[in-house]
Amino acid sequence: MPSYKLTYFNGRGTAEIVRLVFAAAGTEYEDVRLEQDQWPELKPNTPMGQLPILEMDGTMLCQSNSIARYIAKLAGLAGKTPLDQARVDMVMDGMVDMGNKFAYEIYYEKDEDKKAEKKKDYVEKYVPQFFSSLNKLASDGGYFAGDELTLADIAFYNMTTMVNPYLEQPLSLDGFPKLQKVEDNVTSNPGIAKWLKERPETPY
Amino acid sequence: EKMPAYKVYYFNARGRAEPTRLLLAAAGVPFEDVRFEVEKWPEYKPKMPMGQAPVLEVDGTMICQSAAMARFVARETGRAGKTNLELAKADMIVDGVADLMNAMANYHYYEPDEARKAEKKKTFFETTLPQFLGHFEKLLVANNGGDGFFAGDGLTHAETFFLCLYESISKENPNVLNAFPKLTALVERIRTYPGIKEWLAKRPQTEF
Repeated sequence: MPSYKLTYFNGRGTAEIVRLVFAAAGTEYEDVRLEQDQWPELKPNTPMGQLPILEMDGTMLCQSNSIARYIAKLAGLAGKTPLDQARVDMVMDGMVDMGNKFAYEIYYEKDEDKKAEKKKDYVEKYVPQFFSSLNKLASDGGYFAGDELTLADIAFYNMTTMVNPYLEQPLSLDGFPKLQKVEDNVTSNPGIAKWLKERPETPY
Repeated sequence: EKMPAYKVYYFNARGRAEPTRLLLAAAGVPFEDVRFEVEKWPEYKPKMPMGQAPVLEVDGTMICQSAAMARFVARETGRAGKTNLELAKADMIVDGVADLMNAMANYHYYEPDEARKAEKKKTFFETTLPQFLGHFEKLLVANNGGDGFFAGDGLTHAETFFLCLYESISKENPNVLNAFPKLTALVERIRTYPGIKEWLAKRPQTEF
């Protein structure tokens, strides 16, 4: 088996989806966390001047979702049929959109009044609408594709828990019973449960 | 084996649907190219998995999210690389292109202040874009010298996304690839690819 080295800063950020997939897959990897002053030297040697990167057998991959999909695929966590794989991909991309919307419209908004207004809109209108769509896509057993855990379920858990600390209260799954099941399936996965207990506590 | 029935739903534009249309064209796969006027969108929206377009319908199943759609067609038509690693290399280009297209959408559609819009556009074309094109050129060259494709030895969704990016950025600045000879040659290679060449000639001509 190749040796995997994941490099990111000391935070969950965009690397955490990859770490969660490694945990669910039970695959060993080196979890490298750079200090900010170590980054300038590495940056020009990365495929797109960004982190995270994954190194294995002399190859470097970038872009967190592409890395996550690659590792998930090898571990059988990316959907069994072509349509399941497409379902996994579309849910993961939808979660990225949800995170980006939060970042661009709220996190980076400097005007406090606009920020508060956007946050209200996000929590009261956008997320419930989006969760309603996701709830329809999830199975009764709490899986977005097939009948077992995939990268899509992990992505749902990862992004909602990423956004929650920045809100007054965690996003509610009331009215979305299948999404609650998705979350439970993710947190009760043995590899993920272990990682959630052991992972470093970081500000982001 | 019966070919599935494909439908692509989108506005009358290239936009986020075109990378998938290009792949269907490259594979010679017929598809229903559904384009609705903006006023008609409220009728379609509730039927879409995430209330958004574009959507790919395959024998009645709906797939949304432009990269997911394109990757599905790429895989089904044998244009997704031959190995998991080749697919990952194609995917990372698609992600990079998507980041750039999002940055363009951010200043174009979502920045209401004209002064900030102009500033963001300037930063995009003078800094962000050249930096990424430099990365793409380097990655292309790293794949067997750069006279082929981004991943493996064939066209993938990486190429169709890249062509769509090129079509948007070159409208603003026709010289945008002057410093990147391998990317310049790649654009021509994509444009003349069998199936794509014919599609480019016959597709509806739209501003976006």
